[in-house]
Amino acid sequence: MAVNGTSSEYLLPCGRDVDEVWSGLGEPVDVHERDCPHCRATRGSLLVLRDVTRELADDETEPSRDLTGRIMAAVRADLRRHDLLPLPTPEPGSLEVSAQAVAAVVRFAADGVAGVRARRCRVTAGAAAGALAVELNLAVSYHGFVRHLLDDVRDRVESAVGARIGVRLERLDLVLDDLYEDG
Amino acid sequence: MITIELDSGSPGGAEAVLGAPVLAAVAVHAACAVPGVRRTEPGLVGLLSSAVRQARHRVRGLAPAPVEGVRVRVAGDRVRLAVAVSVSGPAMRVGQAVQRAVATAVAEQAGVSGVDVEVSIVDIEVE
Repeated sequence: MAVNGTSSEYLLPCGRDVDEVWSGLGEPVDVHERDCPHCRATRGSLLVLRDVTRELADDETEPSRDLTGRIMAAVRADLRRHDLLPLPTPEPGSLEVSAQAVAAVVRFAADGVAGVRARRCRVTAGAAAGALAVELNLAVSYHGFVRHLLDDVRDRVESAVGARIGVRLERLDLVLDDLYEDG
Repeated sequence: MITIELDSGSPGGAEAVLGAPVLAAVAVHAACAVPGVRRTEPGLVGLLSSAVRQARHRVRGLAPAPVEGVRVRVAGDRVRLAVAVSVSGPAMRVGQAVQRAVATAVAEQAGVSGVDVEVSIVDIEVE
């Protein structure tokens, strides 16, 4: 296989490129465009598109919830691409998971223990291939604080990482930052 | 635009060439069909490119096949497909299934074999 860098995806039957017609919208039509049915139809459609685009650009109402959601999801996806951790795979290529996505699983599991509130969570690759290491900071209810509480958190987090991610938790450091009073 | 020249084997040196959006669309469709995949996840650049592509297709009255969340790169003879997904199932198992599904679909539908599928899981639904 070879790479071909040419761009001719939007050629009209007459040989002109749609981009060329687009760039000439602000200028008088030339002889070819005046006589060519393909160019005339394309020019008409592009003028409509340009007008609609201007209307949208001038529209000061809020964008739709769907559009806002898609943009925010794209921003989040971009951020999460910067902290990817490798997962084992026998397939050609690679498999990675966002450290923040793993941290969300860990925090959700810890929050499931009564009286426990997960705080900061730092996920890194373990020493063994495909294993993960986690440091989780917690706050615990004063009235619910008993010695085995951290063991419950450890069990839940290890179980969640195995079930949701599919890898072994090589190391789980729990840091009890603080106690809180129930409201 | 990246295009991939196929070894068509046709007489007279005729060629068959695929555009990158073709491979991306096949990959998106295959990835989204894997159980446990919620959706493919484009970044901002991918979202913007998709909007431009949709506008261009609309001029012709066409609805483009989705390509968001997949990037196609060609290095020498090697094709690499980077697929970003959100999942709800076990991440490693679902991710490996996406790698297999995309490679199989691209080989069967597009005739491009031996691709490296690089899967990034950017979100895991916990509820």
